[in-house]
Amino acid sequence: MAHVLPRSTRRRVPLARRALFQDRRRAALAAGGVAAALLLVLLLDGIVAGGMRQVTAYLRSTPADVIVSQEGVKTMHMSVSSLPAGVVEEVRAVNGVAWAEGLHFASTSIASSQGRELSYVFGYDPGGRLGPRRLAEGRAPAAGEALVDGVAADRIGVGVGDAVIVFGEPFTISGLFDDGTSMINTTTFITAADYVRLRGPSVAYVFAGAEPGTPDDALVERIASTLPSATVQTRDRFVREEAAIVGDMAADLMQIMSIVGFLIALAVIGLTLFTLTLSKLREHAVMKALGSRNRGVGAVVLTQAVWSVGIALALATVLAILIGGLVGRADPSLLVTIEASSVLRAGIGALVVGALGSIVPLRRVFRVDPATAFRRAS
Amino acid sequence: MKGRIPLARRNLTADRRRLLASVTGVGLAVMLILLLDGMWAGIKNQTRLYTDKAGADLYVLQPGLRDLHDGGVIPVVDVDQIRATAGVDWAEGVRGSHIILELHGTKLGPYLVGSNPGSPGGAWSISDGRTVRADDEIVLDSVMANRHGIRVGDQIDVMDTSFKVVGLSSDTSGFMTSYVFTTHAATDRLFAASGTTSYVLVGASDAIAVRDRLQTAGFNTLTADEVAASAEDVASGIFSGPLRLMVIVAFAAGTLIIALTAYTAIVERRREYGIVKALGAQRIRLVGMAVTQTLIFALLGLLSGVLLFLGGRKVIVAARPQFDIAFSSGAFGRAAAAALAMALIAAIVPARRLAKLDPATAYRGS
Repeated sequence: MAHVLPRSTRRRVPLARRALFQDRRRAALAAGGVAAALLLVLLLDGIVAGGMRQVTAYLRSTPADVIVSQEGVKTMHMSVSSLPAGVVEEVRAVNGVAWAEGLHFASTSIASSQGRELSYVFGYDPGGRLGPRRLAEGRAPAAGEALVDGVAADRIGVGVGDAVIVFGEPFTISGLFDDGTSMINTTTFITAADYVRLRGPSVAYVFAGAEPGTPDDALVERIASTLPSATVQTRDRFVREEAAIVGDMAADLMQIMSIVGFLIALAVIGLTLFTLTLSKLREHAVMKALGSRNRGVGAVVLTQAVWSVGIALALATVLAILIGGLVGRADPSLLVTIEASSVLRAGIGALVVGALGSIVPLRRVFRVDPATAFRRAS
Repeated sequence: MKGRIPLARRNLTADRRRLLASVTGVGLAVMLILLLDGMWAGIKNQTRLYTDKAGADLYVLQPGLRDLHDGGVIPVVDVDQIRATAGVDWAEGVRGSHIILELHGTKLGPYLVGSNPGSPGGAWSISDGRTVRADDEIVLDSVMANRHGIRVGDQIDVMDTSFKVVGLSSDTSGFMTSYVFTTHAATDRLFAASGTTSYVLVGASDAIAVRDRLQTAGFNTLTADEVAASAEDVASGIFSGPLRLMVIVAFAAGTLIIALTAYTAIVERRREYGIVKALGAQRIRLVGMAVTQTLIFALLGLLSGVLLFLGGRKVIVAARPQFDIAFSSGAFGRAAAAALAMALIAAIVPARRLAKLDPATAYRGS
């Protein structure tokens, strides 16, 4: 049959979208419900991603290309590494090494009369390259002094010039720095000499920089052949290993929370589509009476599912970023990083949930009798 | 006939499938709140695990430290001095440190305990095999071992040192970390730290008097309860922020689901509500209907939430035994309070819709 209407008026009516948004309050509540469920997934993912960034912040800030640690030790977090003090010189002597510095390290706590914080304590050479990236206040430590992260200092109520207990001994705070506190612990720097006095001469890690033109992998091989009983990794590899600790340890919790979050989303999407389908059954019958096939009416329901999921995902992403920012301001040690990969994963999960939530409404519209369209509404 | 017709209830139950979906949604949100509450209680229980099970009355830590996870270092010679203090029944140096184990490509962060064989401080409950006797032996937490298919007699690498698994311990798994046990001498070598220990466990029948004596002698001595409280403080600092955030989001989800369902039910029956209003029902009665509906949802959601939680907890604990998910009357009370708050907040949108309803709606076609 030839079309009698001009082409411009033959556009398709966006039935799915119009029906979904006919009642805006309901649409907002439905989108909010699904978004809240997806928000759960995104926020938890964001906390884990933030945790990964935090635990690797120091490593990423160093200019080193290669990091040497005790045999079998590939990480810093929750790890203990011990190398003989002389190993720094051995690394320095390797062909292609521009510089090498030893870092003393222990996981302990720092305290004041007002509080206590779990802390990595680094013993370093204040004139070297392994200090904090940026000082917020004060200066690098001298003997008997410590550099403390500003967030941790606030929490335990101390500032520059105050005393802080490190390894059971009082140190005077010489300065404060940024980005050294995570949700798990903070970071404190003392001089290598103080560290050696309190904890002995062994170093935990050796950080090395490559000479220009020396590839990191080649340097790793050279250092590894010089120190066969040590673990030698590029800095990037070390960072990946460090991040994997957070990811692997949080994996089970993530799985549980994601399942619950997606189940809530499923309930809300199912509820929304089912209610909408029931209230528009007559319209679906009209479509069928006008010749639309099951595929056509089914497409309306599926389009509504995609719209519901899309809006909810967008809303959840915006909310997650906003909440992450607010949380960061309220508690600077809790970093929520919403990554594109998290949004993609949540989106894929939400689409699956949307498809599942469409099953019952689809069954309902497939069974609609076109004759319903010509009956009086009750 | 003077009896009131339960409009709110009948409206809600008119479509059972919708009611089921809504109650399930709210129930899941309540379940999540209960799960997070239960996990937090479990985390707190697990922070006390070592101090509850190791059998020590007192702990001597490096000066300035208050927690076993603080990485303390005490000269081994101090142990003899502590042992010789009046009133001390026994004293044992124990080395404790987190380590990273890599099993099947997954990183685990168990807490490695190094104690002297046959002395207190080591594995407190063996479910398979025996405790360690030699320095190349290790006892693994049974939950961790089972998950990775490790059995008694297997070899595992700890910091590139091979250990033979001689036993599996029970009641030693934690939320994110589990306990593994070896000899003190083995940890001396692993950490290149001979001549030192991390902390000293002390048994004393008159713990307070002994603590005073040890403190007078210059030893930083804490009771088991003080050490446990300190560990709980640390855990609280790490986990309470994220858990609280999750609870708030779960609460928001539950509230929105209740609001959505009550609102949908009211919009679909607006003609009937218009009739009620045309018949003289006052605004407060209509608002009351909205609140009643949301309260019914919240109540049903709470009940389904508890059932879902109990079922979900069984599934989670069976699949991931390291999660200790507690349930208490306090947790139920908090969930009930949350459900009530959800109902009251969720009533706002449908109540406003009903309050603004034009009685003429009753005379318009649907």
